Amino acid sequence: MRRMICLLLALLPAILTGCQSARRIETASVIENVSVQRRGGALCYTFYLLSDSEKPDSVTVCAPSFEQARTLAERSYIPHMTLAKLELLLIEEEVRQDVMKGDIDYIATQASFSPQAHIALCDEKTLLRLQREAAAQSLIERQIDLLREEHPQVKSDCLSVFNSYARGESFEVPLITCDRELRVSLVRNAP
Amino acid sequence: MQGVRSVQAAIFTMEGLVDKEGLAQAAVNPLMAYFFEEPTNRQVFDAILNTVLASSDVTAFEGTEKLLTFLTSGFAVIAVDGVSRMIAVGAQGYAFRGVTEPESEVVQRGAREGFTEPLRVNMSLIRRRLKSPDLVFEQVTVGEKSRTQLMLCYLRSAASPKLVRQLRQRLAACDLETVLAAGYLSEYLEDPHTSRLFSGVGISERPDTVCGKLTEGRVAIIVDGTPAVMLVPHLFVEEFQGVDDYSNRTYYAAFIRTLKYLSFLVSVFLPAIYTALAQFHPEYFPTWILIKTAKSLSETPLPVTLEVLVITFVYEIMKEAGLRIPKSLGHAVSIVGALVIGESAVTAGIISSSTLMVVATAAICSYVTSPLYPPITMLRFLLILVGGVFGLWGLVLATALVLISMCSKTSLGVPYLSSLSPFSLRTMRDVFIRASWKKLGKHTIRVQRFAETEEIG
Amino acid sequence: MKQEVPFSSKRFLLTLTLCACAVILLQNHDLSRALSFPLALGAVAAGLIVCFLLFLPAVWLKKRWDSDVLTLVQSRGRAAQGMVAVIYSAYFLYVAAYFLLPYTDMFCKKYYTETNPCPVAFLLLACCVYAASKGANVITRFGIFLFVLAMVTNFMMFGGSLSSLDMHNGSLGWQGNPADFGNHVIYFVTPCFIAALFACLSGDATRFRVHQIVTALGLTGVKYALVLFFLTFAAGEYAARQAYETFVLSRVAHFGDYAGVESLYMALATMSVFMIISLLLCGVTKAWHCGGNLWVLALLTGLVFALQLWAVSNDAIRELFTRPLLLIALTLITAAVIPLLVGWGERRRHA
Repeated sequence: MRRMICLLLALLPAILTGCQSARRIETASVIENVSVQRRGGALCYTFYLLSDSEKPDSVTVCAPSFEQARTLAERSYIPHMTLAKLELLLIEEEVRQDVMKGDIDYIATQASFSPQAHIALCDEKTLLRLQREAAAQSLIERQIDLLREEHPQVKSDCLSVFNSYARGESFEVPLITCDRELRVSLVRNAP
Repeated sequence: MQGVRSVQAAIFTMEGLVDKEGLAQAAVNPLMAYFFEEPTNRQVFDAILNTVLASSDVTAFEGTEKLLTFLTSGFAVIAVDGVSRMIAVGAQGYAFRGVTEPESEVVQRGAREGFTEPLRVNMSLIRRRLKSPDLVFEQVTVGEKSRTQLMLCYLRSAASPKLVRQLRQRLAACDLETVLAAGYLSEYLEDPHTSRLFSGVGISERPDTVCGKLTEGRVAIIVDGTPAVMLVPHLFVEEFQGVDDYSNRTYYAAFIRTLKYLSFLVSVFLPAIYTALAQFHPEYFPTWILIKTAKSLSETPLPVTLEVLVITFVYEIMKEAGLRIPKSLGHAVSIVGALVIGESAVTAGIISSSTLMVVATAAICSYVTSPLYPPITMLRFLLILVGGVFGLWGLVLATALVLISMCSKTSLGVPYLSSLSPFSLRTMRDVFIRASWKKLGKHTIRVQRFAETEEIG
Repeated sequence: MKQEVPFSSKRFLLTLTLCACAVILLQNHDLSRALSFPLALGAVAAGLIVCFLLFLPAVWLKKRWDSDVLTLVQSRGRAAQGMVAVIYSAYFLYVAAYFLLPYTDMFCKKYYTETNPCPVAFLLLACCVYAASKGANVITRFGIFLFVLAMVTNFMMFGGSLSSLDMHNGSLGWQGNPADFGNHVIYFVTPCFIAALFACLSGDATRFRVHQIVTALGLTGVKYALVLFFLTFAAGEYAARQAYETFVLSRVAHFGDYAGVESLYMALATMSVFMIISLLLCGVTKAWHCGGNLWVLALLTGLVFALQLWAVSNDAIRELFTRPLLLIALTLITAAVIPLLVGWGERRRHA
């Protein structure tokens, strides 16, 4: 009996000090995908939250890099943000040279990011469609998977894109365009 | 009694324990009809013992202690004036429950007989199945006031003499005044300084199960007045073995065994993992579950840990009520449970449907291995708390501690997790699978030959 | 003192294999691209050969007298016993802190990012006290379950990384310089602490064969080789961007839409460290002949916890606990020098 009481007393400080890292499911804001585009001369990152509504919930912040955008979004708009379920990073083609390498490098340093998150370039219409339709993301991901089956050499996830940058070689990434329907093609990215 | 001399004699019985007609036929009528020509009281006694009585169950004895034992066991006792010895005549006539199928161990293809309360009936059920001359019944009496009779039952060629000796010592150390059920003695039979979370004493109400265990070198303890027979040593893997496994096809037996192991794991871990993930690691949920779970949990007032604990606790209350309630009211409990707790509480937003689903699944799984219900329940509550406070990491540590506790447990010196750890390939043929009878019959398992069995006593 | 029930040597060596594999689970050593894959394998082989050599003195004691250092030294007098007990206690406590530090660091960086490492260490050590009080035999029984978990985790981790294999990520040539090769060899000698554990706890192990040690180290080598292979050709440079590369490998593994087996990895790392520290505590209590005494174990874990606190707050001390050379030097003393001295003394006594 005495042993149990001593054990409970000893565990009490551990219990009291150890629970701050709870990320409760009902308050967590899970980010499904992130898109990057230029608006009015500034780089803008849009974080799309996981939800079951037809129109996507999103938050847009303007920052020069993913890291700064994340910090700003967490501080000002989405306090319990979690990027552990990030599935898609869409980069507008015209900002590719400015951000792609740096953002991929930042993702590679974060333990919570999945190396299997899809990476793709896109045009402005695709981003508009993504902002309007919640189902657009899954359509894009499906297109990327089909492309990968047809062209195994394409680099469509963080892991392979990062390794290609590290080797200093040119590689192909998916490019999503949207006229009436979403289309995926390949584009070569030089080192 | 009629005779050449006047001899005083008396028959003592306990009201309600003796069959009066049987007694009349076995003792009273023969005594009244016999003409005693013996010159001494001693010779009259011998004549009664050897010639007069028409019963096969006749024992001569001496002493008040034995007198009380025989009288309270339903024997009639004949005493002759001037002779210190007495004669006990078996004429029991007390009421007892008939041999029926045990409700706690229902099978599809096995026998429908189960143990009952009287000791002799249970002995006969075992004796009928094991006709071996090696089968031994040893009588022990425990309980200062109740003087409950036990029988140690074992096969002389299978059971270890040290094991039997140790059992006798442990039963002799029992200092209870009354022993009214088998469970009273379980604690005295467990090894000291080992975990009490899981029981090192097995219980069965089936004669076929007990006979099977006896051939493996185990000892059965039959307690008078209880249909539950205790079996020692008892191992963890036995909780997943059933009589039907040995009657069904081997592939089906393997399937059922795997199902039982999985059900055990689900019943213990599912609510805790759900709590830990919801509290600390929501990203581990698949996306399609995450949305629905987050939505349902956000609509309820309680934090997920408390919600899971409350629902689990309410379920235990309902289960206990279902056990105690008169059968005629049982339907009311089912309706209250299903409609009020299940449907209305979810609709009102007091509890979430995903939590209810998880707790219900765990509850159903716990009935697949019902002998393990007490440790499953305690572990479930403990792990929910640990998962809610420390997350998956806490669950991992708690699991490690439980495993260490189980690995250190012994049952009369035999490691509790034998076959799994210490690992034995030969005995694994009857753990996750049930090998064919041709293979099982080649080498009979002897429980005292398990690796690392400790010397006891 | 609680008497140990003799246990199977095979199971003991399996437990030590799992302890050795924990080294690469917790590795924060820069194993990146300084050496090509074949040279890295060579470093693994060289490191494990050195580990095998460090086993030999204890093997000699076991084969000759069927005993271990701590049991044999009892016949040398109280002074010798005391000295040996002090040396082994200090060594085992050092090794406990050596593994506890990177574990808590990895845990707080990767899983519970806002948590202080000290309560984590405290809770883990409290659990180790309970396990150590049960004795080495019980811990080796627990090792069987850990082995099953390790198999499942390795299968998931390596199987899930197969689709990410890209042979262009690494080189199959023989590229690298001798200094890097030397560094890698030193790193792969760090599992030698299991030789010291063997030297202290093998007395109760039955049916010992030398090939069991070869098998144990061989399996360790296979595990290291597989981890290196997948780190090089599946994770590639991505792994080098974060600390604890094997954790990254667990994130790389995926099965369709289900990505990451880091929860299994965390379970395996936690249970491995739990088992290592518990075994080390058993070694210390055996050295002082007070096995199973909860107060002694609590005192010892208090010391380990104090070392942990000290290292967390002081970089110089932390450096001391992450230096493989120091660990190897101390292991040389405890696994080789002392057993040789004790064996030599025993030979003289019987001569």
